[in-house]
Amino acid sequence: MTSVSRWVLVFYCIYLLLPLYWLMTMALRTNSDITGKFEVIPSHPTLANFAEIVSNPVWYQAFGNSLSYVVLNTLISICVALPAAYVFSRYRFLGDRQLFFWLLTNRMAPPAVFLLPFFQLYSSIGLFDTPLAVALAHCLFTVPLSVWILEGFMSGVPSEVDEMAKIDGHSFAYFFFRIFIPINRGAIGVTLFFCFMFSWVELLLARTLTGSTTKPIVVVMTRTVSASGLDWGVLAAAGALTVVPGIIVVWFVRKHLVKGFALGRV
Amino acid sequence: MAINKPYNNRAWLGVLPVLLIVAFSAVIPLMTVVNYSVQDILDFNSRFYVGLDWYRETLQDPRFIEAFGRQVLFSLSVLAIEIPLGILVARGLPKSGAWTSVLLILLAVPLLIPWNVVGTIWQIYARSDIGLLGVGLNELGLAFNYTSNPTHAWLTLIAMDVWHWTSLVALLSFAGLTSVPPAYYQAAELDGASKWQVFRYVEMPRLGGVLVIAVLLRLMDSFMIYTEPFVLTGGGPGNATTFLSQYLATMAVGQFDLGPAAAFSVIYFLFILLFCWIFYNSVMTDETVEDAVENTANNNEARHHD
Amino acid sequence: MANIVLDQLGFAYPGALEPTLLPLSVEIKDGEAFALLGASGAGKTTLLNLLSGLLVPTTGRILFDGVDVSSQSGSQRNLAQVFQFPVLYESLTIADNLAFPLRARKAVNGFSAADIASRVAKIAGELEIENLLKRKPKTLSLFQKQLVAIGRALMRPDVSVVLLDEPLTAVEPRTKWQLRQSLKRLQEELGVTMIYVTHDQTEALTFADRVAVMADGKILQTASPQEVYEHPAHEFVGFFIGSPGMNFVAIDSATPAPMYAASGVDQSAQRIGFRPEWARLEHPPMTHPLSAVHWLGRVTHCQILGTQDGAPVGITTLASEVGELKVRGAINATVGEEIMVVVDRCVSFCAEHYVATHYAQSSTVQLTNPVGDE
Repeated sequence: MTSVSRWVLVFYCIYLLLPLYWLMTMALRTNSDITGKFEVIPSHPTLANFAEIVSNPVWYQAFGNSLSYVVLNTLISICVALPAAYVFSRYRFLGDRQLFFWLLTNRMAPPAVFLLPFFQLYSSIGLFDTPLAVALAHCLFTVPLSVWILEGFMSGVPSEVDEMAKIDGHSFAYFFFRIFIPINRGAIGVTLFFCFMFSWVELLLARTLTGSTTKPIVVVMTRTVSASGLDWGVLAAAGALTVVPGIIVVWFVRKHLVKGFALGRV
Repeated sequence: MAINKPYNNRAWLGVLPVLLIVAFSAVIPLMTVVNYSVQDILDFNSRFYVGLDWYRETLQDPRFIEAFGRQVLFSLSVLAIEIPLGILVARGLPKSGAWTSVLLILLAVPLLIPWNVVGTIWQIYARSDIGLLGVGLNELGLAFNYTSNPTHAWLTLIAMDVWHWTSLVALLSFAGLTSVPPAYYQAAELDGASKWQVFRYVEMPRLGGVLVIAVLLRLMDSFMIYTEPFVLTGGGPGNATTFLSQYLATMAVGQFDLGPAAAFSVIYFLFILLFCWIFYNSVMTDETVEDAVENTANNNEARHHD
Repeated sequence: MANIVLDQLGFAYPGALEPTLLPLSVEIKDGEAFALLGASGAGKTTLLNLLSGLLVPTTGRILFDGVDVSSQSGSQRNLAQVFQFPVLYESLTIADNLAFPLRARKAVNGFSAADIASRVAKIAGELEIENLLKRKPKTLSLFQKQLVAIGRALMRPDVSVVLLDEPLTAVEPRTKWQLRQSLKRLQEELGVTMIYVTHDQTEALTFADRVAVMADGKILQTASPQEVYEHPAHEFVGFFIGSPGMNFVAIDSATPAPMYAASGVDQSAQRIGFRPEWARLEHPPMTHPLSAVHWLGRVTHCQILGTQDGAPVGITTLASEVGELKVRGAINATVGEEIMVVVDRCVSFCAEHYVATHYAQSSTVQLTNPVGDE
């Protein structure tokens, strides 16, 4: 790495950290404090905003709602993608390449296009305002992504593993669940990361498909924005809290992260 | 890996779950949209088939063309910054060691923040009354206010997108760079290559494949951007930062004009597909993809010999 | 081409409990084909990395033509290296790949474009790859790519030494010998000092003028392939060289058998070793029981490798009173049969080190040609 790149890295890290720092300081100050006086370093830091979030059901339920559809979506995506990725990596079949490409194009679809039909579709089958609705809607993007990533990793597992299991007399189910999936732990971890990365962050669909009972955090925060009597402190605290799950997920997957990106399969 | 894959149509069983879910999520809604796009829907019971009228109207709608123009300008601007910046950041990262993990996690964080929070963060940051950046710039005498000045709004949006997404390019590039076995660097050093030559002949060829993906992804995603600008500027001041997605969203949800909204959706989707297709075919043929994967596999093997 | 001297060279990784390389000294002559042979973990890769400047010695010095280069980088030492897999510039043509080392140093060595072109043509001619010059590495086979890598290493006429790190590893087995031949021929023709690192004894013994056998961070013996084969300085050398390697039998000095004395083995020896090629099978009883070292054994396995004069030859494994023995030569026994193993030549070791070579006194003995059976 040349020294130019090093300097760019340093400056970019500062560039990344400044807004995050600002978020934290805002989260630690009450709204009146913020609007009253401009301070780079808060003189009276307080945890009042976090307390508000933790105690106010509107907020903590919203967090729970978001988490529920993200977890649901990740579960569905991975369960559905595993067999598909397996067959894509091991077999050729009629229309396989076309199917693969078609899956990819879904990843490219703009969510805005699906607003209307999703709204009507889910309303008509009574799934509106449930976490399942958002989970399924997000599947449109996370399932192709999962298949793509898993297939990439699985292609790197030699088919001798399959054959050996067969020779050893194991049933396919045994092989798949007790041997193959554990081998692909890293791949599943990376897929989890990317599913999370999409589902947790998305706003448009999450907003359209949820109503009052399943309001996710992303909606509560934006509603807070449009309402009058804006509370910057609480907003910042909520924002800070939404960053936490992301950091946790990255931490767990960090070793496999680079390999996941290496396959270029984002 | 070019393993010999046996031909077996029973494999369709494996993809069936995927097909069902995606069909449910994608095909049915898409068909609905296409259906709406060729009808004039006044209310639930009265619809008239109007053919391609909505398409014609949309494509000639001056606001659509403006939004499209803004979108293209925005996408190209952020791409022009994010790609080189991402590569430089990746080159600056230490390839191994304690700092590597820490820096990778730091880089990954912006990618995992809900998009509206990204907007909120930058809102808090850039406001001229309470924001570090906003106040800071004003203190420097720049009269910065992104809510009233369109140019400032644009710049802030671009700065925000760079903050948000450069990490993706950086992580992809880093993955590409670390896939170079050390022997290549050693050989270049023994050859007496200069730093520039090392970049050009050892690193760039590896980055090539990865960069195509990075450009493709960023182009697609920036074309679809909705949340962050919506939160930060709401599309304003006026229309200054209203891009395609937002325009579509307001049409579809706000105005309840299903027909034109649907037509717009289809056009939007077709544009994206077009890009996708162009890139996929002209730069990455099926063989190249396999080659890239094969190279990765070979390099992983080769690295074990070292 | 340079003369290389390693003077008490040792290396330990920072914080390691034991050194990877114990202080060793060896001299490699200018223009010599030299091999570093050893199993994985012997320290040969570390030695190679010290030579190439990737690592800095912990103790001792490295001298190129009498100049201490221990703290110099690889490019300062003007050396070249061929790696286990072909390392080429994927975006350049083969011709540009070959020209690269010369072009990169144009300011230093003052080569004109014409000079470079003619050198490329010359080396490509030597390697018989002229028809590949316009192609890109992606289109070549592994074998061809490695040839180009060797060519790149030979481009600079004044290169001090060419290091080869198990260069045949990635090449298909069918073409390994071809590459070996090309390498040997090039080395002799161009007179380049080459140091070839490998764990494969065939590669080392056929390529090198002299071989250094390494184990546990030490060089056990540096000698010609013939010498290393016939007079191993250390038990490990005897064990490692040859397929299969030497048989070892402990001598119980408390009750020395008279047959040892008859073969000239003295009391101070603790173990004798003999190559499977130096023994033969004889049906009991022995004609001259005391003329040669011998044991009774029962055949457990016969591996036929071919025929000679119509009779099968190969490796016979036997279980005997002194342990498992292997004999290579005519197979004149069947599995389960009891037969004598008669040793015509053996080497005695004391504390693993070579003491002397002993020949059987039996008048019916014919000394087998040690290198003949390969």
